[in-house]
Amino acid sequence: MNGLLSSFKRESAYGSKKAVAHISLLALGSTFELVSKYSKELKKEIADWQEGIVLLLGVLPNGPAMSVKKENGAIRFLGMGMRDADLKVLFKNIDSAMMVLTGMMGSHTAFAQFRAIVYGNLGVGMQMSRALNIVQKFLLPSFMLNKTFKRPPEFSSEDMWIKAKVMAALTPKMISGALR
Amino acid sequence: MIPEYYEFFCSVKIISGKKALSNLPYEMGLLGAKKAMIITDQGVVGAGLMEYVKSAFEGATQEISVIFDQTPIDSSVKVVNELAVLYRGKECDCIIAVGGGSCLDTAKGVNIVISEGNDDLMVFQGMDRLAATPKPFIAIPTTAGTGSEVTAAAVIADTERGVKMPFISHKIFPQVAILDPRMTLTMPPRITAATGMDALTHAIEAYYDLQKNPISDSFALTAIRLVNKYLISAVKNGSDEQARLAMANAALCAGIAFSNSMVGIVHGLAHATGGCCHVPHGVANSIYLPWGMEYNLEKRHEIIAELAPYFGVTAGSDARTAASGVIRAVRDMRRELNDICKLPLTLKDAGVDETKLELIAKNSLNDGSMTYNPEEVTYEDALAVLKKAWDKE
Repeated sequence: MNGLLSSFKRESAYGSKKAVAHISLLALGSTFELVSKYSKELKKEIADWQEGIVLLLGVLPNGPAMSVKKENGAIRFLGMGMRDADLKVLFKNIDSAMMVLTGMMGSHTAFAQFRAIVYGNLGVGMQMSRALNIVQKFLLPSFMLNKTFKRPPEFSSEDMWIKAKVMAALTPKMISGALR
Repeated sequence: MIPEYYEFFCSVKIISGKKALSNLPYEMGLLGAKKAMIITDQGVVGAGLMEYVKSAFEGATQEISVIFDQTPIDSSVKVVNELAVLYRGKECDCIIAVGGGSCLDTAKGVNIVISEGNDDLMVFQGMDRLAATPKPFIAIPTTAGTGSEVTAAAVIADTERGVKMPFISHKIFPQVAILDPRMTLTMPPRITAATGMDALTHAIEAYYDLQKNPISDSFALTAIRLVNKYLISAVKNGSDEQARLAMANAALCAGIAFSNSMVGIVHGLAHATGGCCHVPHGVANSIYLPWGMEYNLEKRHEIIAELAPYFGVTAGSDARTAASGVIRAVRDMRRELNDICKLPLTLKDAGVDETKLELIAKNSLNDGSMTYNPEEVTYEDALAVLKKAWDKE
């Protein structure tokens, strides 16, 4: 009985973590698309990306995962799920993914601690990492950014306006995502 | 201080010392190998070093099946793929790399393609993509700098696209590294100086980078101690076997350290400078090292100050002063090497055109090393460091 109970608890905890990671990745993908339309900083960062490139961020062994594509100079969120991509950044396990996706750990720390692996060109991986940092700037609260970034990001008045637009657009998506 | 998390790995058997090369057939036997493919270059052949390797096989049941001595200065995917075909055609069962970083990285690439049963290295770009058990692989370095004989990375160029790509996996280590002092005796003074500064850069960056850990620290400190004691002797008197062996060990220890702790802004800039302006890696590292240390001084002065005794700097009570003393000592070492063998002190001395600085800054940001640098590096930051390093010592 105890064995069954602890097994149930373990599976339930893993399931909860996967659900949180799923919603976090959904938020990240949606924000990536939105911010790429408004932020000059992100537009500049992705300017050199090859048109049509597909990037995937996910969790081993079976997801969740989200992917984005560069289209017409901006980012399109392709949705959730594992798929072929030009570059894949994969967390080795759900706990490592949780730390980064919930803002407890910066992406540079995750790489430094070998918590994520890259399939594909590592130079493109660096570009993706910088772009995700810009996206996180609009997604995470300042106290988290100050804690996890090497150098806390600066916000212009335009950035504050973009952040407000992101929050307004994201909230209903997250609620419906969480309800699903 | 113990980091909240770290990983450390080094699986290489190290054989170091007088006539160590003589063990080569025996080590092949332990690995179950009989027919070796040797990957080397014209520099090694011209210096007569292959004779030591060939003589080690006298009377042995193991044999050299084929010698490839045309490894280019920058190892390339094309050469790797061609060598994989040659290895299979000659029915070899072991790879032996004899040379500097390019030969060793080429051999690592060949081992990836052969072991994975593929015919194109490009398929394996990235980190931890290898699944197969690697073939027997023995590394015999002839320079004392890269530490490639004990690192989990190979940097191989795609010459068609003009880019250098890192391949990183714990499966690409050689099983054995042989350090024989005879193999580095012929290195000219300036190359000895540049490769020695490369080793010092590996050790110092590994010691203060984000992924420093107690095990890599011990290797980094050993390397720093050996470089401080023996580099000048090895440059001044190339036939000093003790200094040569000590520097080979310094490079190896620094390699183990940075393969686990990684490197930072100095390497990010050096890789980009090599790509744009073909400045040798050790020369570029030597130029950038004090600037990189200064760049990280605010966040890492307490850690850099721990190196003070290794550089003969009186630590005192103020960490920032001690750390500045260490940086000054590094500059003094570079000046001494410049006096002895004209090792360049600035990018200008190394032949870098000032108009290239913006391109170097831009490319450096895509180098993985920047991830592990303690301080954030933006384009503007990188350019500011480059402008200083261009004409200031």
